[in-house]
Amino acid sequence: MKKNILDLRFIIGAFFSLIGILLCGYAYFAPSGEVSVHQINWHSGLVYLLFGLLMLFLWFFFPVQSKD
Amino acid sequence: MKLHVIDYLIIALYFLFVIGIGFLIRRKVKSSQDFLMSGRAIPLWIASLAFISANLGAQEVIGMAASGAKYGIMTSHFYWLGAIPAMLFLGIFMMPFYYGSQARSVPEYLAKRYDEKTRAFNAITFAVMTIFSSGISLYALAKLFEVILGWSFELSIYLAAGIVLIYTFLGGLTSAVYNEVLQFFLIVLGIAPLVYIGLHQAGGWQGVVSRLPDSMTHAWKYVGSAQENPMGVDVWSLALGLGFVLSFGYWCTDFLVVQRAMVAHNMAAAEKTPLIAAFPKMLMPFVVILPGLIAIALMHTPGADYRLPYKPDGVTLDYDMALPSLLAHYYPSGILGVGLTALFASFMSGMAGNVTAFNTVWTYDIYQSYIKPKESDHHYLIMGRVATVFGIVASIATAYLARSFNNIMDFLQLVFGFVNAPLFATFFLGMFWKRTTGHGAFWGLIGGTLAAACTHGLTLAEGKGAWLGANLHSFHSTMGQNFVIAIVAFTSCFVLTAIISLFTKPHPEKQLVGLVYSLTPRPDTGHLRWYRKPVTLAVVVLLLLIILNLIFK
Repeated sequence: MKKNILDLRFIIGAFFSLIGILLCGYAYFAPSGEVSVHQINWHSGLVYLLFGLLMLFLWFFFPVQSKD
Repeated sequence: MKLHVIDYLIIALYFLFVIGIGFLIRRKVKSSQDFLMSGRAIPLWIASLAFISANLGAQEVIGMAASGAKYGIMTSHFYWLGAIPAMLFLGIFMMPFYYGSQARSVPEYLAKRYDEKTRAFNAITFAVMTIFSSGISLYALAKLFEVILGWSFELSIYLAAGIVLIYTFLGGLTSAVYNEVLQFFLIVLGIAPLVYIGLHQAGGWQGVVSRLPDSMTHAWKYVGSAQENPMGVDVWSLALGLGFVLSFGYWCTDFLVVQRAMVAHNMAAAEKTPLIAAFPKMLMPFVVILPGLIAIALMHTPGADYRLPYKPDGVTLDYDMALPSLLAHYYPSGILGVGLTALFASFMSGMAGNVTAFNTVWTYDIYQSYIKPKESDHHYLIMGRVATVFGIVASIATAYLARSFNNIMDFLQLVFGFVNAPLFATFFLGMFWKRTTGHGAFWGLIGGTLAAACTHGLTLAEGKGAWLGANLHSFHSTMGQNFVIAIVAFTSCFVLTAIISLFTKPHPEKQLVGLVYSLTPRPDTGHLRWYRKPVTLAVVVLLLLIILNLIFK
């Protein structure tokens, strides 16, 4: 069945997954500084990524039929 | 505050998404109803989050953190007392009339229930107020980003206004609602890590409590006397002014928020929208107020190395900077981009909410009703888009006006406060007393507005008021004064409306079916399981509310 990309769960999921990937990537590759600084980006990035993936999961496995 | 590439990347990604939503929604917009009312097809969870997000503008995010720093946990009354009960009342008692009457807006409900002059008064004042609020939001954004990032006033104004224009012009209300929900998650998830870090630095909630005066960490303990609590209000003006008149006046009659419930996909969803919204709403103080308390606590925490900035006078703390200064101090590059995007989102959410409410009221309640009544739907769709552009341009002009003439803005804000204060009496009487007439409603509104102005003109608080040449009473704070003004305005409007109604001719009863409580069949909820009934939801919300108030009493 064709997925509805106008489902808001897809939009929110994609946005937070990308933010999560960006933050985790930055925490991993950025020049070393204070450990706590990296931890904040790392932990927050993981939370955003998990939230984004949860939204994408709901969008993918529990679709809502578009009216179109 | 210095931004790095990663921060700009996150901000750019957000802009890309909000504009992308506009482009995606555009192909679904085929009629004026699609553009201005989302085709009445918004799912319950989206309508609920948009309902609270439309109110989650800059004033709420920056202002509530500032109030938290200034007044402490008592600020939570703006949620637990000044929002949740009114939201429950809206869902249980008022939505059946708004939705069931098929009115497309709150002013249109007034036209159906009363008459055209009452609608015109409400529509025109509301339209002007939304533009004014949108402009103030824009001005506040530009000022904040000028201070914390060094961005020019023009850059912030045109960037934010341009983005809001693109997505509201393309996708109308649906686009605004979708973005409001995205903004809701961004604001909550963008600020939550700050609360966690701040609490950790301050030694947890117990650490915060130990470093603040007792009056800042109790919501109810000091409300017995206006002199004892930091807000300078007594329990009666708090309960009646904030808890009843102002909160019911805003949450039950302001089209900006009611519109989000009116576009739900059916009556049951419309009723539940404010009830479901009440759950996240009652937890919002932990995201928007707590940072203010944390900021003050951190100033007294050894080794925290954090100071809340002072105002230019060098003496008064700049409470408005509580949240931005915490972001700047504790967020490193990366998450800082998320935090700033959350601030940007809050300003844009407030602006888009106002502009989409304005274009609906302008198109349906002013243009279609009084200027060009019998045009095609396509004509009104185009007018809706023109109104959107006009709303944005007028907001930009208002922002510049606010920059040049701050006193005019204060004055206008005061006047609009007078107009809003009596409104709930008009709706309450209209919905629950079939004898209320259009003449009663209209003159009651005018009388209530004048009573509000006179109360301000005859009382004094923090050097403001008493412009009628006499001072009958001095308040401990402008907040206390505002609560009493609201009570006087409501009472005057209520009494005046009732008296005039008794001497004027009411509508025939058959015209009031669906508009007045006693003449309208109740929605049948007998087929629903007990846990899906709106009343059950409301009871659960009330229980949780009581628990929260007991914890922070």
